[in-house]
Amino acid sequence: MSFDYLTLAQLVVSGISVGMIYGVIAFGYQLTFATSSTLNFGQGEALMLGSVFGYTVVTQIGLYFGLPILWSYILMLPFVLAFGMLQGAVVERLGVRRAIKTKSEAGWIMATIALGIIFKNLAENIWGRDTFPFPSPLSDNAIQVMGVRILPMELLIVFGAIALMAAIELFNRRSIYGKAVVATAADIGAAGLMGVNTAQVITFSYALSSMTAAFAGVLVAPVTLTGAGLGGALGLKAFAVAIIGGLTSGIGVVVGGVLLGITDRLTGYYISSGYQDVPGLVILLLVLSFKPSGLFGRRAIKKV
Amino acid sequence: MLQVENLAAGYGKVKVLHEISLRVEEGMLVTLIGSNGAGKTTTLRALSGMIKPESGHVRISGEEITGMPSHEIARRGLAHSPEGRRVFPVLSVEDNLIMGAFTRLTGSRPKGDVKADLARMFELFPRLAERRQQQAGTLSGGEQQMLAMARALMLSPKVLLLDEPSMGLAPKLVEEVFATITRLKAARVTMLLVEQFAAAALEVADFGYVLENGRISASGSAASLKVDPAVRAAYLGTAHG
Repeated sequence: MSFDYLTLAQLVVSGISVGMIYGVIAFGYQLTFATSSTLNFGQGEALMLGSVFGYTVVTQIGLYFGLPILWSYILMLPFVLAFGMLQGAVVERLGVRRAIKTKSEAGWIMATIALGIIFKNLAENIWGRDTFPFPSPLSDNAIQVMGVRILPMELLIVFGAIALMAAIELFNRRSIYGKAVVATAADIGAAGLMGVNTAQVITFSYALSSMTAAFAGVLVAPVTLTGAGLGGALGLKAFAVAIIGGLTSGIGVVVGGVLLGITDRLTGYYISSGYQDVPGLVILLLVLSFKPSGLFGRRAIKKV
Repeated sequence: MLQVENLAAGYGKVKVLHEISLRVEEGMLVTLIGSNGAGKTTTLRALSGMIKPESGHVRISGEEITGMPSHEIARRGLAHSPEGRRVFPVLSVEDNLIMGAFTRLTGSRPKGDVKADLARMFELFPRLAERRQQQAGTLSGGEQQMLAMARALMLSPKVLLLDEPSMGLAPKLVEEVFATITRLKAARVTMLLVEQFAAAALEVADFGYVLENGRISASGSAASLKVDPAVRAAYLGTAHG
């Protein structure tokens, strides 16, 4: 029996799209790590909340205005982005700010995990424990490229993820407030001397971080399913990606995400779907043992 | 312009400053001299809000700023070129200067003409103009010092605090830094200069304070401090005549 290259290509393509999701969530980890050296361990739940909230908005818009699903989906995006920002700001205010002030090393870890669990319970009570389909804004008919089937939604995931990260990069480079974020990340004390309210910048970075997660939530949901359980595994995988890619290198998380997405898929198909989650975590352990700053990062992480 | 009354500050339980008082009048260049560990840097840090004073009062144009966070103090017109320069290494030289004007660009201080001030900085520090698009982290120590001063000036401050602008620089660059300070003085920029090179500082300053173990031990016009026997013995050495 000859090796089936078409299947391999198929797995790589779907690995890339799920990998972009990991990348975008990991990018969110970087945003808060840059300004405050802290992470939101409830990032997976931020994604889940964005997704189920987006589901409600999209179905309500459809119900009231009778728009085609693509239009409802587009109209839903600003609501989900705003919701994500609000949710991230809440996490920072309740879980992180005190810990930063008192220089507590473990406080923010426990607090963000706890908030994540609370958000998950909240979602279970509102949206139930079961998974349910998320209406797809694009056709479910795959496009054939040299025999490889690509879902339009998979393309949207890749382009949407890149567009979001590019937009945030552009904001950081071009706008005065973005420069204030970069300055705060570089030297928080000196940024304060410039007149930057650095506590506000940290809240903002949490808002932005949860916003990227919420966006990832509505990007991924049409190809998977959504529901209160969506967050856990994705958040953990993305954490692995953030460590592999480095917590300081923007491009690293994209490469790391795609790498992990592809290994996931290959393992799931060629070995056993039961082991799908293992290789990513093995890579994580290897990177932590041999190159603790990540494959692309410069700074070693010491607090995680 | 800047009034300090009975200011006490320190780090945790370690008291560094014991109720010091000083004034910087508008358009004046005042220097704070003293040996290592006397509390010079701590004084500036307490003034700009980098550390919280324990007691006492700090006022700018009569407004109480004691205990405010540093961004609030910056918004009231105090600029601080800190110890160690602390430029933003990943930002370009130009973006560092733009960050200096953050309060003006975001509406918490009168905007004025930021572009013209940027051009003025490049005129005052021609070397920065050459390196305009370079990341600040790639600059030499002397260039970073120029940048730190220029960045603080971009706030168009009521008072400029300069912490050891000569630290770690080659003699020729030290001269250059002092020449720049003299030019700023001619432009009537109000400054509080902290220096280890007491002789050079007293040469350019109008007024001086001597800090010893966290207390002001002497003060007076720069001219009178230069000839004060105690100051000469302790900080100027005999060679400086």
